[in-house]
Amino acid sequence: MLREEGFNAFVIVGGLAAWRKAGNPLEPVPRDDLVKLPTFS
Amino acid sequence: MFVIVLAEALGLPVPAAVALVAGGAAAASGVLSVYRILLLALLAMVIGDTLLFVAGRYMGWGLLGFLCKLSVNPETCILRSAESFYKRGKATLLFAKFIPGINTMAPPLAGSMKMPLDTFFRHDVVGATLYATVYIAVGFLFRDFLVSVMRGFQTAGRAVEAVTVFALIGYALYRVWLYRKHAVYRVVPRIQVEEVTRRLASEDKDKILLMDVRSHGYYDAEAARIKGSIRIEPNNLKDELKNIPKDKDIFVYCT
Repeated sequence: MLREEGFNAFVIVGGLAAWRKAGNPLEPVPRDDLVKLPTFS
Repeated sequence: MFVIVLAEALGLPVPAAVALVAGGAAAASGVLSVYRILLLALLAMVIGDTLLFVAGRYMGWGLLGFLCKLSVNPETCILRSAESFYKRGKATLLFAKFIPGINTMAPPLAGSMKMPLDTFFRHDVVGATLYATVYIAVGFLFRDFLVSVMRGFQTAGRAVEAVTVFALIGYALYRVWLYRKHAVYRVVPRIQVEEVTRRLASEDKDKILLMDVRSHGYYDAEAARIKGSIRIEPNNLKDELKNIPKDKDIFVYCT
């Protein structure tokens, strides 16, 4: 959908797992990002 | 009928509605008890839905991706179903069975979204009752019409067979065309982690946007993300994209 909308998008091979395995920097998810997530619990 | 309804509830592409209509017609003819048909249909749907609910709870969106594999556009299949839940919440379960695609996705979505089992059960039973009642009632009330239609089919014989075969071929060709139309967007360019790291360390770093597109199922209080990335809600992509600059390279990742 990103490319359909005209964005120059690429997928990182292996995703977060590959990034983590390569020892690259991570950060915790901000708390305000978590509040937005819809759940029923 | 029980097997067909259960199969559809488990995600198989079988026409449970047709079986329910036939059951209603059989009940109108006195062959079967309408209450027995309703009970069997309810039981089949609730069993199938509950199994998918539990599977969704423990397998998360991986199961949804599997169920959507047969779809022309799996990403749209998942996102469209999730959109219904985000907009209408648990009320989605009351009418989900009437909507092709969402009928199979609703129970595992509810499970993955941590809906309490008793809440799911209540809403699912009401939704299943509504669905079964409507189609059994159609068969029951229009038995005579259905019988005359079937007699007409038998009389028309070969002509009906030919029309049906051509209709099926036409539908199959349409699906192939739709698949090929979306196929061009399946080939998304990929980039290795090493290349991303290299570009982030270069002068190019301001022209890059790292985008986390994980669904909520993988995004909890202990979750981590690539440093400097932003999260985009995949189920609200069209709105989120309005705030994204088009002059940057976007590197997307999930789990």
